[in-house]
Parts: sequence; structure tokens; C-alpha cells
Amino acid sequence: MKRSAAEIIREYGPFPDIKAVHGVTYDGSHVWFASGGKLNGLDPDSGKISRSIDVAAHAGTAFDGRHLFQIAEDRIQKIDAVSGAVVSTIPAPGGGGDSGLAWAEGSLWVGQYRERKIHQIDPETGKILRTIESKRFVTGVTWVDGELWHGTWEGDDSDVRRIDPDTGKVLEQLDLPAGTMVSGLESDGGDQLFCGGGDSGRVRAVRRPRRTQESAS
Amino acid sequence: MESLITAAARALEAGDPLGALNRVALRNDAPSLALRGIAMAQLGDLAKAKALLRSAARAFGPREAVARARCVVAEAEIALVSRDLNRPAKTLAAARATLASHGDLANAAHAGHIEARRLLLLGRVDEAERTLAEIAACPLPPASLVVRELVVAGIAIRRLKSKEARTALDLAARAARQADIPALVAEVDSASLILNTPAARLIARGSEHPLLLGEVERLATSTALVVDTFHHVVRRQGVAVPLGTRPVLFALARLLAQAWPEDVAREALISGAFQARHADESHRARLRVEIGRLRTQLKPLAEISATKQGFELAPRKTRDVIVLARPVEEKHAAVLAILADGEPWSSSALALALQMSARTVQRALEELARSSKVQSFGHGRARRWMTPPVPGFPTGLLLPSPLLKA
Repeated sequence: MKRSAAEIIREYGPFPDIKAVHGVTYDGSHVWFASGGKLNGLDPDSGKISRSIDVAAHAGTAFDGRHLFQIAEDRIQKIDAVSGAVVSTIPAPGGGGDSGLAWAEGSLWVGQYRERKIHQIDPETGKILRTIESKRFVTGVTWVDGELWHGTWEGDDSDVRRIDPDTGKVLEQLDLPAGTMVSGLESDGGDQLFCGGGDSGRVRAVRRPRRTQESAS
Repeated sequence: MESLITAAARALEAGDPLGALNRVALRNDAPSLALRGIAMAQLGDLAKAKALLRSAARAFGPREAVARARCVVAEAEIALVSRDLNRPAKTLAAARATLASHGDLANAAHAGHIEARRLLLLGRVDEAERTLAEIAACPLPPASLVVRELVVAGIAIRRLKSKEARTALDLAARAARQADIPALVAEVDSASLILNTPAARLIARGSEHPLLLGEVERLATSTALVVDTFHHVVRRQGVAVPLGTRPVLFALARLLAQAWPEDVAREALISGAFQARHADESHRARLRVEIGRLRTQLKPLAEISATKQGFELAPRKTRDVIVLARPVEEKHAAVLAILADGEPWSSSALALALQMSARTVQRALEELARSSKVQSFGHGRARRWMTPPVPGFPTGLLLPSPLLKA
């Protein structure tokens, strides 16, 4: 396992009237983050919030190319990214103990915080397809280039880690400075991971290390 | 953080404890237990709240020190509101240190305020002030600011500093409006009443009138000889003769001062100071002895001379004698004064605050209850006493919302 300190490239926020960041996703132009009562569209270049959708937003956020998915209480809402309307909802696998959310390969991936689990579910029905065990409380979840990354927060420590999707084994770990919480995670498809900053009300961009020969095997 | 916990915490923050309970009522994980505890506290079920918070503190893992410390602080606040003042201060101090060392300054400050309020209720004003001074300066949410200023005002009132008290109460009122919590606004209002309610009675030259706190304070600069029944001292400006341990001498001094410039008959002194119905020769002999002792004590302040029918006071270096007395003097005024805060008190907490024996307090309470001046509920150790006009149980619970996070 490779372990290093996370390199924080940029910090966004805190923003007025936003107390906490609960989930993060990226639609190719905007970083969307959940702040309890709404979803906020942040322009990562200007650092300004240019759009927002009024919808209950208590935990993870994901994007499938057309829809935003947002966890609220014990369900997952599917939201039309253009109109902001909730199209449908499915039950969340953790029954409300859910934290992170990611879209990949036609499935939704949901972190279950205190159970230290990641579920792969059917986005139409919410049925659990399989479950990966983690060692730590799971916050955000994301897939990029076939890599499964998730955020952790336990005690005072937070990190983002890449795990083997089959075994749950930790392959790589980036430690955040003590007291810096990761509440949501999303990749920009390139070298950056966007991390929700929990109660700090911030969003941070962390560098995703290039995959090396050894860890790719 | 997880979804339902976030939703429940948001409901609590918005003043909707039932909404919070709806979301976590059936869950028994640590954060749910903590949220349920705080919701129950806001709903007034303090016993249940305490049990839930205690199990939450146990359920948080060893790495979740901050969450655990927040539960300890919440439990301490419930203990304070239930006037359970016997709790060891050590656990709260440890939780406070944990919060401070993890950068949760707002909750660390809250823990400090709880400790200061406890000390103030126990009459340990200096320690309350020291505790307040230890709290690191940090931006506080308005609700915490209200508590802080109420403690500052409480200290100032007990020190007879009305200007400081008024400033603190003004700040508290402003913060309470900002916090937009009606219970807090009401608490500040009732605290402010103290400044406009007579704090004492002035008795001079045979007549008496009520004094506000500010007027009592101004007396400190007066040149008169003051017989102070609050502190059981006789003083004139910087010179003070404490008679707290000599109740008979103090009673005599007071009787002489109240009558000044007239004299007081022997019979009146004997019945007033010795609680004797008929004065006989032995009483007269004892009076001579006690007056002799008082004469020695008061030497720097006054002379006591014998008259035809009794004794009279002759103050030195001043032409004024006044007696400062409680607004209402009845046998158990001190007990009633403490119960006037409207909270339910256990007799052991009262004994602690009054520095009296539990048995004495018990007797006073029973006597007051017979004349319907106090009422009690509960049985055995859970029995609580309060003054009747208070509707229901004002909890004054101020558990701050950061308690719920992460």
C-alpha cells in the first residue's frame, strides 16, 4: 500500500449561508455539492456558485451524465440536472445510514458510514448488487479510470483511499491534515479529486497521483 | 456524516425535536442516541435525556473522543438544569479539555459556561469568575453568548455592581434576539427584572424604604455607619467589624442601629436578641456582658452608652446610622431566595448552595410547604422543590447545535 500526504491544490469557500458540505459531484463544468437544503453548482475556475437547486440534500451526490442523484434522509432522489425536478426516488441501501454516492458503469455506489461498507446498487430499483467492506467509516465514494476511491473520517483523521473493488484491500492512501474532514468525493476525470469539507463548509481539490506500474498490476 | 443524522440534526437546529425524533427514534447507533437525548432534553424529559446521552457517550468508539466529550457536556447541562449540583466537576473539566485540544472551541466554551453557572448557583462567585476568565476568546454563536453574559450579569449582581450587570444584560438581550429563541429572550427578561426589583431595605431613624441594586451599590460610598444584615458586618467606609460568628452581638447592634438616635430599652434588647419572653435578673446580667463585648468589638466605629432605661449607640466620625436589610425578612428567606430562580431544586443541592445541613434545609422546606410557599414533586432522592407560581418546568436548555455534528 502506498501512503502519502494529500496535496491540496485549491480550496473553495466557505460560502455565505452554507454551514456544511455533505456530498460532491462533477458534471464536467460544475462541481455540485449538497448543503442540507440545496444543491449548489460551483464553477471550479471562478470559485463562484453559479446555480443552485432547492432539494433536500443530506449526504452523497452523484451525476450520470444527465441526472444528479442526491441522498436525502433514507432515500436517493434522481434529479433532472437541467430543470432541477426530482424525477424518481429509490430507497437508500443503508436506510439512512448512507453517506457517499457515486455513479459508475450503470450502477450507483453508496457508502454506508458507520457500517464501513460500500454497496453497489441498481439505480432503478435500489436493489443491492454487491457489498465491499472497508476498514474505516466511509464518507464519499467515486470511480475514476477503473479506480474505486473513497473518503474516510474516523476520530480526528480523514484520508482518501483507493481500494480493490473485489477485496476491499487498501491500495493507496492520501492523508489529509489532522482535523480536515472529507465528507464527499468526486474526481474531475483527470488529476483532481474534489473533496467535500464537512462542517468547514469548504470544497477542496486534492491531486490524484498517477497510477504506477506496480500498483496497476 | 450520514444522511438521516444530518437530516435529524438539521431538524433539531430548526427547533423541531419531534422531527428529529421521527428520523432516529428507532436507531441505537451512537450519533442517533445522542440526537435522541438532546431532543428529549428539549422536550423536557430530562431523566430519559440523561440516560440516552450516557449510552451515546459509551457507544462512541475510542477514536471518537470529541463526540464523546460533547455527550458529557450535554449531560452536565442537564444535571445543571435539574439542579443536580453534587456531580463531580472532574468529568466536565476533562471533556472541556478534550474539546479545546481538538479545536472545538465553541463547545469547550459551552462547557466552561456550564461550570461557571454551577459555581454561581453554589455562591462561589470568585471561582465562577475565574472559570469564565479561563475560557479562550472565540467567536460564539448567539445562544452561547446569551449564557455567557447571563453569567457575567449574575456575578456582577452578587457583587452589587449594577452598571456592569446592566451592560451584560443588554448584551444578553441583543444576542437572545439574534438567536431568535423565545425561551432565551424570556430568561434574559426575567434576569433583568432583578435590577428593577428592590434588592434590599434601608432602615434609618425609625423609618424604612426599599432600595434597588444600584442604590445599594451607591451606599458603599456613603459615610454612614452601616449595619449590613446581608454580610453580618458593621462598617463605615473602609472600616468593617464582622459579626457573622456572633449572632447575639449582631442582633444587639442591629436593634441599637434601628432605633438610633433614640435609645433601646433593656427589655426590648433582651427579647430581640435572646428570644426571651420575660426578662429576669439573669437576662439583665447577660445583657450587660454582651453589651460589654459589643462595645469592645465596635470600638473603632461607635460607642455604646447606658441610658436611664437601656442603651444607645453613638457613632464616631459620622452623623448617620443605617441598617441594610433583606427586602422581605422571614425565617427562611434565604431558601426562598434561591428557589426564586424558578428551577426545581433537590434539598441536598439547596443545602450545598446555602452551606446549611441537609436536615436544617429539610425542616425549612417542610415549614414553607405547610404555608404553601413552596411545593415539591417526586419522592425520595428524586424529590424536587420549587416556588409555586412557575408554570411547568422551564428547562433553559441551550445545547448548542455544533454538538450534533460529525
